[in-house]
Amino acid sequence: MDMKEDSSGQRKMQCSDVSRCFQLLESILDGEMGDGGKDILQEKLDKCQPCFEHFHLEQAIREVLKTKCTKQSVPVELAQSIREKIQDIK
Amino acid sequence: MSEVQRRKYSQEEKNAIFDGEFMPHIDSMYNFAYRLTFDEDDAKDLVQDTYLKAYRFINSFEKGTNAKAWLFRILKNSFINEYRKKSKQPAKVDYQEVETYYNSDDVDFQGTTDLRAESVKDMLGDEISNALNSLAVDFRTVIILCDLEGFTYEEMAKILDIPIGTVRSRLHRARNLLKDKLKGYAQHMGYNTDEEE
Repeated sequence: MDMKEDSSGQRKMQCSDVSRCFQLLESILDGEMGDGGKDILQEKLDKCQPCFEHFHLEQAIREVLKTKCTKQSVPVELAQSIREKIQDIK
Repeated sequence: MSEVQRRKYSQEEKNAIFDGEFMPHIDSMYNFAYRLTFDEDDAKDLVQDTYLKAYRFINSFEKGTNAKAWLFRILKNSFINEYRKKSKQPAKVDYQEVETYYNSDDVDFQGTTDLRAESVKDMLGDEISNALNSLAVDFRTVIILCDLEGFTYEEMAKILDIPIGTVRSRLHRARNLLKDKLKGYAQHMGYNTDEEE
């Protein structure tokens, strides 16, 4: 993974190792990198445009998944039916 | 979770565990079951079977440990063993085949410039949901566990009985596939892309 500083101070437009960087960013977003992840993340966001865009895209997808795909309403009778079946086998 | 620890809970303790640690997860369990089966009745049966099994094997649950992960593992196994065969969804591609195919580097997602965070945020719930539902079940599952339910990689590894490294790579592939689907929707719906600011 390319951690070298870009002397221009601008984000570089090409990522030297997209596959590994993106997978790393995803692990960071998933909270799997601990505190060490924050430094790596800041470095990536500051220095690399593809990483910057990928991070924000991944973040947006996680948000919409979480807000729009967890609203399946549970049938009201389900909990009651489970409790009755449990009573039977007690 | 895998090692069976023999203990004896009293009837009172069993009730307390069942009500206090198992039942609060019924919403997440139903959501998971529905996204696996795509059918309300199958989802209800699957959740109900899972809770009955959980009660029957309650002595192998260690009080105070992660009940949600324990329940999800039972549900996942029940689905594979009993529901996958009779599920109303059309037969999916064999997972091994899918994994091998997408293992190659050349399918790594290159579309960051075409699919923008803003377009994703504007999408409707149905579009997001359809994109997720269109993934093969093993890819769908890791996204549900991670992004919808917030399980850690370690918990997912235990729920799915696979190594953590496989969790990570399967998730990465699942996300690439999901982005491809979303990109399709974005283009189709004219959410595009580079012009809007």
